[in-house]
Amino acid sequence: MGNMKIKAKEKDGITKVKVLIKHPMLTYDQAKKKGVEANFITHITAKVGDKIVYDVSTSQFLSKNPMLKFKFKGAKKGDELTMSWVDLSGKTVSESKKIK
Amino acid sequence: MNRRNFMGFGVLAMATLPAVLSAFDSIDFRKTKPDTWTAKTVDDAIKALYGDIKPEESGVTVKAPKVASNGGAVPVTVKSDIAAKTVAVFQNMNPESAVAVFNVPEDGIIDYFFKLKLKATDENGGNGVITAIVEGADGKFYKGKVALQVAKGGCEG
Repeated sequence: MGNMKIKAKEKDGITKVKVLIKHPMLTYDQAKKKGVEANFITHITAKVGDKIVYDVSTSQFLSKNPMLKFKFKGAKKGDELTMSWVDLSGKTVSESKKIK
Repeated sequence: MNRRNFMGFGVLAMATLPAVLSAFDSIDFRKTKPDTWTAKTVDDAIKALYGDIKPEESGVTVKAPKVASNGGAVPVTVKSDIAAKTVAVFQNMNPESAVAVFNVPEDGIIDYFFKLKLKATDENGGNGVITAIVEGADGKFYKGKVALQVAKGGCEG
């Protein structure tokens, strides 16, 4: 826990989500200068139950500690939103948050 | 076929059909369209992702500050009311063009906010442009873009 800050609020059937992910998002250029391997988040998914509500393939150009906002329909207060990401190194992190 | 079995089959078919229709799978566009992510220009990246398309320039809004003082975290919003399958975002400031490809769930709302690292615009001369392409459920493509200046690049070591 503690990798992501997730805020999810439902109003009139639409859930608004704000997520802050801790990740260096090291580009190939940055990594070369530092003499380390590039590593950045390559895919982010959000689910409520089995249903995918957000699905994005990402590049090295998201900012360091990327912040995302999105909206979706069909969830209600008390439902659990699960955010997952995977990076170039293969590391996966999932965290859940109840929709308020 | 006797009547009872026939009815049973009908109920089963009705029960399974919506489940099949609503199945929405995650797509990893880095795996399915690897060339998109290494393309150096916006046109090449779009071609690698969608093929030879002629998008209509309507229905897609891209928002970004006119002058971004910090290229390390440039806020970008992509909005559209088009019923869409995918939304792809590109820019012309960094060494590669593709930024992100969204796979839009059924009834998805296209109102995506994210922050980008962008190189200063004076490094490559001229304007920076962020382009968004929406692949509509109708099979057509739509395009929106925004021009911006980045004062201080965010991609340096």
